[in-house]
Amino acid sequence: MSMVQLLQTNAQAAPAKPRPRVRLLPYLLSLPALLVCVAILVPFVTAAVYSLQRYRLNLPYLRGFIGAGNYIDFLTDPAFWNTLQISITYTAVTVVVELLLGLGIALLLRRPTRFHNAVSIMLLLPLMTAPAIAALMWKLMTNPSFGILSYFVGLFGVTDFKWASDPSTALFTVVLVDVWVYTPFIMILLLAGLRSLPRQPFEAAALDGVPASFVFFRITLPMLAPYIITASLFRLLDSIQQFDIIYAMTQGGPGDRLMVFQVQAYLEFFQYTNVGRSAALLMILWLITNILSNIFIKNWLRLRARAHGHA
Amino acid sequence: MEHSSLAGRIFRGVALSLILIFFMFPIVWIFLMSFQNNDQILRIPPRILFEPTLANYEALISGQLRTAAGNLQISFMRNLFNSVVLSSAAVLLALLLGVPAAYAFARFKFRLGETIAFTLLSFRFAPPLLVLLPLSLYYQELGLNDTYFGIVWVYQLIALPLILWIVRGYFEDISPDIEHAYRLAGHSWREAFTRIAVPLAGPGIAAAGLLSFIFCWNNFVFALILASADKQPVTVGALAFVTASGIQYGQIAAAIVLSVTPTLLLALYAQRYLVEGLSLGAVKG
Amino acid sequence: MARLEINSVSKAFGAARPADGLSLAVEPGEIVAVFGPSGSGKTVLLRMIAGMFEPDDGDITVGGRSVVGAPPERRGIGMAFQNFALFPHMTARDNIASGLRAGGNEVASRVAAISKLLKIEHVLGHTPRELSNGQKQRTALARALIGNPDVLLLDDPLRNVDAKLRYEMRLELPNLLRRGTAAVLYVTQDYREAMAIADRIAVLIDGRLAQVATPADIYAQPASVAIARLFGDPTINLAEVSPVAEHGMLSAMVAGARMRVGAADGLASLGACWLGVRPEDLVVSSASADDAIPARILAITPMHEKAVLLLRLADGTEWLAALPPDAPQGAADDGVFVRFAPDAAMLFDRATGLRIGPSHRLKAA
Repeated sequence: MSMVQLLQTNAQAAPAKPRPRVRLLPYLLSLPALLVCVAILVPFVTAAVYSLQRYRLNLPYLRGFIGAGNYIDFLTDPAFWNTLQISITYTAVTVVVELLLGLGIALLLRRPTRFHNAVSIMLLLPLMTAPAIAALMWKLMTNPSFGILSYFVGLFGVTDFKWASDPSTALFTVVLVDVWVYTPFIMILLLAGLRSLPRQPFEAAALDGVPASFVFFRITLPMLAPYIITASLFRLLDSIQQFDIIYAMTQGGPGDRLMVFQVQAYLEFFQYTNVGRSAALLMILWLITNILSNIFIKNWLRLRARAHGHA
Repeated sequence: MEHSSLAGRIFRGVALSLILIFFMFPIVWIFLMSFQNNDQILRIPPRILFEPTLANYEALISGQLRTAAGNLQISFMRNLFNSVVLSSAAVLLALLLGVPAAYAFARFKFRLGETIAFTLLSFRFAPPLLVLLPLSLYYQELGLNDTYFGIVWVYQLIALPLILWIVRGYFEDISPDIEHAYRLAGHSWREAFTRIAVPLAGPGIAAAGLLSFIFCWNNFVFALILASADKQPVTVGALAFVTASGIQYGQIAAAIVLSVTPTLLLALYAQRYLVEGLSLGAVKG
Repeated sequence: MARLEINSVSKAFGAARPADGLSLAVEPGEIVAVFGPSGSGKTVLLRMIAGMFEPDDGDITVGGRSVVGAPPERRGIGMAFQNFALFPHMTARDNIASGLRAGGNEVASRVAAISKLLKIEHVLGHTPRELSNGQKQRTALARALIGNPDVLLLDDPLRNVDAKLRYEMRLELPNLLRRGTAAVLYVTQDYREAMAIADRIAVLIDGRLAQVATPADIYAQPASVAIARLFGDPTINLAEVSPVAEHGMLSAMVAGARMRVGAADGLASLGACWLGVRPEDLVVSSASADDAIPARILAITPMHEKAVLLLRLADGTEWLAALPPDAPQGAADDGVFVRFAPDAAMLFDRATGLRIGPSHRLKAA
C-alpha cells in the first residue's frame, strides 16, 4: 500500500466540512447599479403598457385598454408613414455620408505624424460640441439675412436659399449639421482601427508591387471591417433616434418635413398630450433599435476582446 | 502604399485643407461673432477684421440684456451654473455606483452582473424618450420633477454604462494575482480594492469620469423634459435664450461660446481617452 | 510551527478535474515540491490553499485548524507567484513591507534584513518596472518571506528568470526556505529543480498524486512508467517485453537478445510489461556478448558532462545512452552492443503502467 493510499484512508475518517459560504460581495457591490437598472426598466414597462391604452392627459376619463389599437391606427395614418420614411431617409443619408467621409479622412490621416495627430484632435471638437448647440451654431450661420453660409451661396448666384426653413432643403440642412457633428466619430474609430492593423500584409504587398486599389479593397477594407461595422451600427442606432439637432433646428418642421420618430413622439406627448400614441410610436422605434443593438453588441464585444488582448 | 507623387501630395493637401475648413470654420466663425455687435454682424459682405467688443459677454454675465423692446432679465449664467452642478453631481454619483459594480463584474463572473451590465448597455441604445416620458409622469407623482436630484438620477443613464464598461475593462486588465498577493500579505478585500485595484485602474476611472462629464453636459433631451427654467442646463437654456433674445445675435454667439468652451477644453485635455470612451471601451486609442 | 495538511481535496471546473481526491501533508520546515506536467492541477492546488478558490470537497488545515472558507488574509500563508504579481505602483521597498502589519522602525529593519539576505538592498527604491526579472523575483520572494508565514507557497518562481539566475537560485533557495519553520510547497515543472530543492516530491498527474517520495526514491523507484518518463534527461528507454523466469532470474527478449531483468522471486512469468532502462545505465561496447543487444549508433551528441548516443536496436527501437565523455564511444553508423545490469532494469505492467517492484513480485507469488 502506497503512502498516498494511506493518507486517503486517513482522510475519509475525517468529518466533511460544511461547504462554501454564499458569495454576497459581488451582489452587494452591484446593488446600486441594479437599482438604476430597475429605474430604467420600470418606466420602460410602463411605456409598453401605455402603448396599449387609450391615454390622453387632457381626457383622463377616456383612459382604457385598447389592445393593439394605437398600433393598428398607425397602419392607416399617413403621419406615421411620413415619420417612418423621414427617419429612415435621415438615418441612411447621414450614416452613408459620414461613413464615406470618415473613412476618407481616416485614410488621409493614417500615418501618425505630428500634423496628422493635430488635425485629428481638432476634428474632435465638433463631436464634443453638444448637438443642440451645434444646431444653434448652424442656425446662426444659415440665417437668411446675415448668415455667412447664405452669403457664400449668394456669391455663387443662389439667392433666396432658405436652408432649414424651406421644406425642399430642410433635410439637407439638418443632415449637414449631423455630418458636421458625427463624421469625426466614425473618423476617430476607423483611424484607431487603421493604426492598429498589423503591418506585415501591407509591407508584403508593397514589396510585391501590388496596385494600391487592390491593397485597399482586398487588404485594408476586410481587415478594417469590424471597426467599420461597429462604427456604422453605433451611428445607425444614434441617428434613427436623432432628436437634439432636429428639435433645436426646426422642431420637426417646416410642416412635418422633419418629423422623425422621437420628435413626433415628443410632440404627441407634450403638444397633443396623447400618451398612448406617443408610447406606441416609441415602442416601434425601440423594436428597430433593439434588433440593431443586438447585432451591434455582438460586434462590439468582439472588438472589445481584441482591445483587451484576449481575442 | 503612401502616395509620394506630386499629384498625390497636392491632392492630400487640398483634401485636408477642405476638411479642416469645413469642421473648424463654424467654431471659429461663432467665436468671432461673439465679439461683434449687431451692426457688425448684419454687415454685408461680412468682414474678418472688425473692432471686437466684450459687450455680449458683459450682458450675459450681468444678466441684463438690452433689446429694442427694453431691458430683459436673462438667466444664462444660472444655466451655466446648473450645467456644472448637474454634470459634476451626475459623474460623482456614477463613479460611486459604477466603480464598485465594474469591479464586481470584472472580478466575479456571476449571472446577475452580466445581466445588469448588458441591460445598461442595451438601454444606452434605446430611445431615451421611451424611458423619459413615463418617468416624467412618475416624477410628478414622486415630486422629483424639476429637482436637481431627479435630473442627476436620469443622467445615470448616460454616465453609468460608460463608466461601467470602461472601468470594467481596466479592472479586467489588472492581473488578479496582484490583488491576491496583497490579500495574502494580510489585507482585507476592501484594502485590496482601494489600495491596489482602484489606483491601478486610475487612468481608466479618470477618463470615464471626464467623458461622462462631457456627455452629461452635452445632453439636451433629459433636461428639456424634466427641468423647468431655473434647473435647466446650458443646452436647453441656450435654445430658450434664442427665443427670448430675438435678434441679439452677438449674445447668442457668446452664449454658445460659453456653453461649449468647458467641454471642448476637457475634450482636448482628455483626448487620449476619447476613442476608448466614444466606443464604450471597445477600441483603445 | 504549523503543519499543512490537505485531506481528500477535490475541485472541478466543468468537465475538468484539476484536483481529484488529493491528500498531502507538509511538516514545518519541510520543502515539498509539487511536480507534474502543465495542466496537471499544480496551480489549482496552490490557489485552493491560498484561498483564491475553495475546494468542492475535502479539507485543508494549517496547524490543525481548517482554513477552508477563511479569507486569504487570515490563513497565515505567504506566496510567491510565477508572474511575480508585484504591485506596479509601489517601490520594491513598499512591495516587501506590504506583508507587515506593524509600523515604524521594525518594518524598516525587517525589510533591510530580508533584502540583504536576498541581495536586493540596492534596488529597494525602484518600482517593479525598473527591476530586472531576477530582481522582481527576489522582491516577490522577500514579500512572501517577510511575514514569517506558517505556510509558504511558491508557484514556479523560477519559471520566468533566465538560465543563469535559475541555476544560482536553485542553490540558494533551499537554505533560504529552511531558514524559518514554514511548511513549504514548491510548484515546478522542472524535475531537476524539484530534485535540487525539495525534501520530498509530490508527483501530480491529472489531478491525482501519483507518488510522494524523496527525490532519490522517485528517481530510483518510480511508481509508474509515466513518472519514470517525467524524471531524467534524456528520458528513460522503454521496450515491450514479456519476462519469464529462468534459473531464479527473470529474463526477456529485447531486440533479439535475451536480457536478464531482475530476480524472479519465485515467479514463472510476468505477462506483458514495459522494460525501462535509464540511459546512464546502458553500457555500450564494440564487443559482442550473449547478454548484449546489437545496435547501430545513429548520432552522437556531446554534452559537457556526458555524451548522448542515439542507438537503433536490431528490431528498430531507438534508445538513448548517456556515457561519460571520456568513455570509448565509437562513431556514427558503427555497429555496437548494448548491455545493462539486471538491477538497473525496471518493469512496469503494460496495462496499468504501475511498476512491478520486488515487493509486488513477492505478493503475486
